[in-house]
Amino acid sequence: MTTKHAIAGTRFIANETQEKWHDETLWMVRAKRDKQSRSLPEWERLRDLASAIKMYSNSHLDTLLEEFERNAVANGAIVHWAKDAEEHNRIVYDILKQHGAKNLIKSKSMLTEECEMSPYLFSKGIDVVESDLGERILQLMKLKPSHIVLPAIHVKRQAIGQMMEEKLGTEPGNYDPTYLTHAMRRHLRDKFLHADVAMTGANFAVASTGEIVVCTNEGNADMGTSFPKVHIATFGMEKIVPNREALGVFTRLLARSGTGQPVTSYTSHYRRPPEGGEFHIIIVDNGRSDILADADHVKTLNCIRCGECMNTCPVYRRTGGYSYTYFIPGPIGINLGMLRNPKQFADNVSACSLCLSCSNVCPAKVDLGEQIYKWRQKLDRIGRANPEKKLMSAGMKFLMERPALFNTALKFAPVVNHLPRFMVYNAANAWGKGRELPAFAKESFNDLWKKNKVK
Amino acid sequence: MSSKEDILARIRQNTRTRYEMPDLKLDAITYEDKIHTFIEQLKAGGGEAHLLQPGEKVDEVIRSYYPDAKRIASNLPEIGCATFNPDELSDPRELDGTDLAIVKGSFGVAENAAVWLPKQTRHKAVFFISNALVILLDKEEIVHNMNEAYRRLADADYDYGVFMSGPSKTADIEQALVFGAHGPIRVTVVLV
Repeated sequence: MTTKHAIAGTRFIANETQEKWHDETLWMVRAKRDKQSRSLPEWERLRDLASAIKMYSNSHLDTLLEEFERNAVANGAIVHWAKDAEEHNRIVYDILKQHGAKNLIKSKSMLTEECEMSPYLFSKGIDVVESDLGERILQLMKLKPSHIVLPAIHVKRQAIGQMMEEKLGTEPGNYDPTYLTHAMRRHLRDKFLHADVAMTGANFAVASTGEIVVCTNEGNADMGTSFPKVHIATFGMEKIVPNREALGVFTRLLARSGTGQPVTSYTSHYRRPPEGGEFHIIIVDNGRSDILADADHVKTLNCIRCGECMNTCPVYRRTGGYSYTYFIPGPIGINLGMLRNPKQFADNVSACSLCLSCSNVCPAKVDLGEQIYKWRQKLDRIGRANPEKKLMSAGMKFLMERPALFNTALKFAPVVNHLPRFMVYNAANAWGKGRELPAFAKESFNDLWKKNKVK
Repeated sequence: MSSKEDILARIRQNTRTRYEMPDLKLDAITYEDKIHTFIEQLKAGGGEAHLLQPGEKVDEVIRSYYPDAKRIASNLPEIGCATFNPDELSDPRELDGTDLAIVKGSFGVAENAAVWLPKQTRHKAVFFISNALVILLDKEEIVHNMNEAYRRLADADYDYGVFMSGPSKTADIEQALVFGAHGPIRVTVVLV
């Protein structure tokens, strides 16, 4: 039984040039992160603080969210609470309907992806326009993001140029990134100026001030909210931070970790409604409150969605975001998928070498690799263990518990070295796929020891 | 039960250990020459800095950086080269086609060249819609790092505010860095 991740990964690997580029480019981003982190002597202290603040805030969500709401309402915002994706999408649609809106300009938000909001709004006749350049490219190509921070990392400039020729009338054959970016700037400028309602996610929501903070390099969230009279901001409840001083810790870590920049070009604080307009804020649960009770996995709520665990992951870099079956790929996506629906998303749990590089670089110290290991222990319980590996493990256990039999088996093990390939590398040996077995030694360590051959 | 009550009840029911808020005290990095670090960081992020020299006039400096700018927006009384006051426009859409906007930063941050810009014009679009942005910043108003910056903002009141570090940028096409994704293509900080 091969996982869906392994099957899709094999397809990604088939294009060697693309795989190499993907691997090296993401590693370059990781190297930029290292340079940034080493520029601050207090880097590890910042990570400790970020983790401790999140442990505090995620264990005080009840009081912090109410504090946030009180302050946001005092600022003139309208606060909504959504239990799940369906309620979230309905709230957004109701606001749009109230204002007779036909289109929505939105900045990148993993939460709206999680809620599958755009397809829902399209089905209601609303034109949803993604304003992040990479997201807009993917939307026009009818593709999904393959990375949470670098959404179009898997698409080549030629493909983007050809799409833009067809849809936006750019010069045929001009695939220069600057030319294409500025053509997209003109295209989206028009969308910004004619949007009915603007929507953003939030990187942080500050309890003590009732403001939300959005970080972008493009300025698309700011452009988007500069013209319409209505701004809807939505955030998953673990995005809460207690106050601005705590926010300072996260703004120092976020971009350094994610893209290797000292800060994003824009760290925007939205506090009061636009002149003569409305500011709606949606606080979303959608399964997060269940995670609070799960001691093994509660730390996933520390995640600030920087994307670094993808950049550093040897499996992600070499198999690409589309190889995962959950909409968030990489180490954090493996864990969030399992928390969403373990049976449905168990295929991703194999996409990990347990090198723990992700755990070692995570700015909020989510124990990503350790959690994946824990999920593997639970696979059998949820009925998703690999049957061949299970059979093999049962056989090994039988053997290990019987020393005499084990020693006899060991004596005959070198026979495997001379077996024809089809007998060793076949469907029954799950570990033989994509790997070469080491040759068995002629004599076992036990025998060598007894004959005093071990120096 | 309303969704709010329902969510809060679930949070209370599922919360296990309640952790303490950590002490945020931190020996954050400081720089010997904050102005120099700020300028270096700004350049690294694609921005430009001009340290005003004795005898130089701000208007002339701005003109020397942007000799071709035709539509220049500013509501700052000390700026003579502005061609219009953006606060006189009732619709922010009318700002489209602005070549240059000139605004004032409250303070800068040495570690990342971010400048704090609280909303100071009728339309916040002024910060984003023009092709270029000039930020006037008092060179004495530079803090070392973001921790210090947010302590400074602890009780600040604003409708909207942004830490801006250099021009709008993207690397969404094959990780190739391009300035001017949506906002200003050029940002010049004039340190006065």
